Amino acid sequence: MTQSPFDIEVDQITLAQARRGSLPACERIFRWFQQPAYSVALRICQCPDTAQEVTQEAFITVFRKLRQYRGDAPFWGWLRRVVVNHAISTLRRSPRAQELEFQDYHASSHGQQEQLGLAMDLEAALASLGDEDRAVVWLHDVEGYGHKEIAEMFGKTESFSKTRLSRARARLRSLLEGPGESIPGEAPGGKAAGGIAP
Amino acid sequence: MKQPMQKKQDPLNLQSLPLVSPPRDGWPVIEAVLRREQRRRTALRYAGGALALAASVTLALGLVLQRPLSGPVEPAPEQSLAQALPSTQGQSGVVDGGAAPETETLNVMIALSQRLEGRLRALRSGTGDLPARAVVYQVELEDLVAQVDEELSRRPDSLPLWSQRVSLLMDLDRLYENRLRREYRQVASL
Repeated sequence: MTQSPFDIEVDQITLAQARRGSLPACERIFRWFQQPAYSVALRICQCPDTAQEVTQEAFITVFRKLRQYRGDAPFWGWLRRVVVNHAISTLRRSPRAQELEFQDYHASSHGQQEQLGLAMDLEAALASLGDEDRAVVWLHDVEGYGHKEIAEMFGKTESFSKTRLSRARARLRSLLEGPGESIPGEAPGGKAAGGIAP
Repeated sequence: MKQPMQKKQDPLNLQSLPLVSPPRDGWPVIEAVLRREQRRRTALRYAGGALALAASVTLALGLVLQRPLSGPVEPAPEQSLAQALPSTQGQSGVVDGGAAPETETLNVMIALSQRLEGRLRALRSGTGDLPARAVVYQVELEDLVAQVDEELSRRPDSLPLWSQRVSLLMDLDRLYENRLRREYRQVASL
């Protein structure tokens, strides 16, 4: 099972203090989870400012609703779900101009086509994916969510998650292998070949 | 066995990407929002207390002002009680003046008693269960009211008895009032 970057244990005393509204306790929790929360928000939203806003909103929600957290599941899982939900909902409200960014990436590499595949690291390849594809592959491969959970987050069916994952992986592979092997004429986030992911 | 599972879960090794630090510290914004909300909740709590106090004052004023304007100057309810109750401590005669003011005070006490009964009915239906210790006190007070009522059935015009009844009902009223205030605080803190 994938170990999520969120997997940090929070002691019961800090949680109880935060529940009672202790700001130092809230700050401790924030400091522990700020980086994984921001990272997942950034992977989903792909915009530093938006990711920062999403992270702040998510933490405010968490501290407001802390009394509702019953403690029957790990706190980090609950917090992570709040962050991911905020990020997905922000993504829906204002999807980024993904195609433009992808073309810019290609344009910046003009004249170096041979090295493009080598130069394009995993980060850039991920950034070039369509919003939903990137979010799905990140949530599945890094955060370890199942297709059912991902489908719930997006309000879609499991096959949506499976298709997106399969497509995202295929796209990433093609980008990492090199430009010559990428699927020609396919815009990021657009339709791609590939079956249903496991 | 662990490695193939990891591979299947993350075949492109996305987990190897490092965590990203936010460009700015997000805590000051979060702290400001949380502080503002805490201040608002505190203000609400105080407002709740003030509302309950205002309700009590309004009730007391309403009870005092309901007496005819032509009558003598009405003492505050507590003063009426203070004047009326000494008879229960072996003193007689409560109100200075003739029989008319005494009758008037008696009428005020009866009206006050009726008002308190009505208010208690509303409070009983509007509040949750009283805590165990309060229930013991409530039962004691209600027993005392029953004893006074029994006495009153024999001496219906006894000002000391009516005063005693009002005093007991006011104690009961405070009991429910406290419970209501506590419930309000719980709701306001959510």
